[in-house]
Amino acid sequence: MDIFTGLINGFDIALSGTNILFCFLGAVIGTAIGVLPGLGPAATIALLLPITYIIGSPVTAVIMMAGIFYGAMYGGSTTSILLNLPGEAASVVTCIDGYQMAKKGRAGAALGIAAIGSFVAGTVAVLGLTFFAPPLAEFALDFGPPEYFALTTLGLLLAVALSGGSIVKGLIVLVSGLLFAMVGLDPISGKIRFTFGSIGLQGGFDFVTMAMGVFGLGEILYNLESAMKTEIVTTKLGKVFPTLKDWSDSKWPIIRGSVIGFFIGIIPGGGAVISSLASYAIERKYSRHPEEFGNGAIQGVAGPESANNAASSSSFIPLLTLGIPGNAAIAMIFAALMIQGITPGPFLVAEHPDVFWGVIASMYIGNVMLLILNLPMVGLWVQMLRVPYGILAPVIVLFTTVGVYSTQNQVFDVYSMLFFAALGYGMRKLDFDPAPLPLAFVLGPLLERSLRQSLLISGGDLTIFVTRPISGTLIAVLVLLIVGQTVFFLKGRARA
Amino acid sequence: MKKYERIVALFLSLAGLWIMFYAWDTLKLGSIHMPDAGFLPFLCGIGLAILGIVRLLTLQWTSLRGNEGPAEKRRWHRPLLSLALMVLYGWAMETAGYITSTLIFMVAWQQIIERERWLKTMLISLLGTLAMYALFVYLLKVPVPPEFFIG
Repeated sequence: MDIFTGLINGFDIALSGTNILFCFLGAVIGTAIGVLPGLGPAATIALLLPITYIIGSPVTAVIMMAGIFYGAMYGGSTTSILLNLPGEAASVVTCIDGYQMAKKGRAGAALGIAAIGSFVAGTVAVLGLTFFAPPLAEFALDFGPPEYFALTTLGLLLAVALSGGSIVKGLIVLVSGLLFAMVGLDPISGKIRFTFGSIGLQGGFDFVTMAMGVFGLGEILYNLESAMKTEIVTTKLGKVFPTLKDWSDSKWPIIRGSVIGFFIGIIPGGGAVISSLASYAIERKYSRHPEEFGNGAIQGVAGPESANNAASSSSFIPLLTLGIPGNAAIAMIFAALMIQGITPGPFLVAEHPDVFWGVIASMYIGNVMLLILNLPMVGLWVQMLRVPYGILAPVIVLFTTVGVYSTQNQVFDVYSMLFFAALGYGMRKLDFDPAPLPLAFVLGPLLERSLRQSLLISGGDLTIFVTRPISGTLIAVLVLLIVGQTVFFLKGRARA
Repeated sequence: MKKYERIVALFLSLAGLWIMFYAWDTLKLGSIHMPDAGFLPFLCGIGLAILGIVRLLTLQWTSLRGNEGPAEKRRWHRPLLSLALMVLYGWAMETAGYITSTLIFMVAWQQIIERERWLKTMLISLLGTLAMYALFVYLLKVPVPPEFFIG
């Protein structure tokens, strides 16, 4: 099936009544959680994972979750601009100039350019996904166990290196994720590992339970430390549609942001946060008026908002073509596909073209929906900030508890979730970024299987990882990454 | 906070050592030609032990240079109380049934965590319980634990 036929079939699937409805639901939920501070897209998708059992169709489930993910990028800019409060981590940088624009009475223009930039970048990234993913999936068909081992190791280490936090803490979370994935039956020898006699643990920890605990409840517990009170918005929005000057100032930042975001999004661990920071830095560096940045430069909103949207769409490329989730939210979508019995990876396009093309086509539709939802209806989203956290928090607790209970109808899963909730809270409290945990958890079995299979094939010869061209190249990148990080770390220490 | 970080780092190092021993002794490592169930856990154990030690040394080094920064004011009680309520809710859900346990949980949450007035507590709890019941049972068709009092 060529790209155009695939895309037409994809639109046929995405435009069905049910899929349109769930795409819209995803866009609405995504925008809502993007607006609300304290609950990110990874946590929301984690909370909604049990619903995928009820939805039944994998295409519909992933269409909704993808909508939540890129919808959050649209919604995240609203509170950044109006309240100087990022609703989503990727919108932190938007606060700098967005809030200054709002203070000068240009909130509407900032929100407008953020929505339009997000739309353009989202569409550019989906176009890239359409044409880039199928050849990459075909290339990945040649991958054997050594290539998968090298790729998963590289992906996991990149996720830690690019997270921006402490490398040591990131590696601790990564190793912990791998160990949690090993609980239960060993898939090769059938031995029981780390169960301590518990029958409930013999099947291993469930991803849904882990994700809902660490991301959903862990975040709620952490937010409970401080009384979350949102101020009533008094900023006047002004005109939402940008002026001709705004267009002229923003067109190149939007284009640059789209390209930067697209490429950073493909790299595991890259994602929306880094792309928005990179875009802001580039816009400031190459601006003819860098002194305007920090004082309400529209380029400081247009570039980063475009970049984070492009990155969120392009991060589907490694998932759909290689089966490698690059960030926590994508790891949740990986799990949603696995729940439906579909393994993401190079065979996805050939074996489940409906899922592959249906999801891609839905992104075009979702971006149009989000533009409509975010431009004229921005005032409505701002009103959501009035919902007291005291009501929101227990409702989320009830939702997660029954959601987890319903997966296997046993209270053991609820206790497992609470264990992970305590872990998630502790990680946030001690400043450990939990993002590598779900990545290591979902990639752990693939990593172990490919390592053991590679050693079996080669008869214990470790050079198998470097003598094959693809795995050799990946290992070379891995070594460069480790050397680079070590040099960077030592230089930093010497300067300190 | 540094004290807790040191305890965590020490715990991680010891956990790493225990995992290495468990993987070597119980799971068995196998050989490089044919790795067994303990092979990757052993490597992870080594990693965890080393990372824990590195973290401990980093904290010690920061402390010696006097870069600890101001001590963070800890507010553990609300999250810990919430966690305790959630554990009790998990137990009560199977013992007393969904509606009863949810209603008690909502009342306890509004009173203990949010410290709301009784009228508001009752209103939020009743509406919340009924709305969640309707959502799960009628809309999503999710099985919930049966009521103890109804049988």
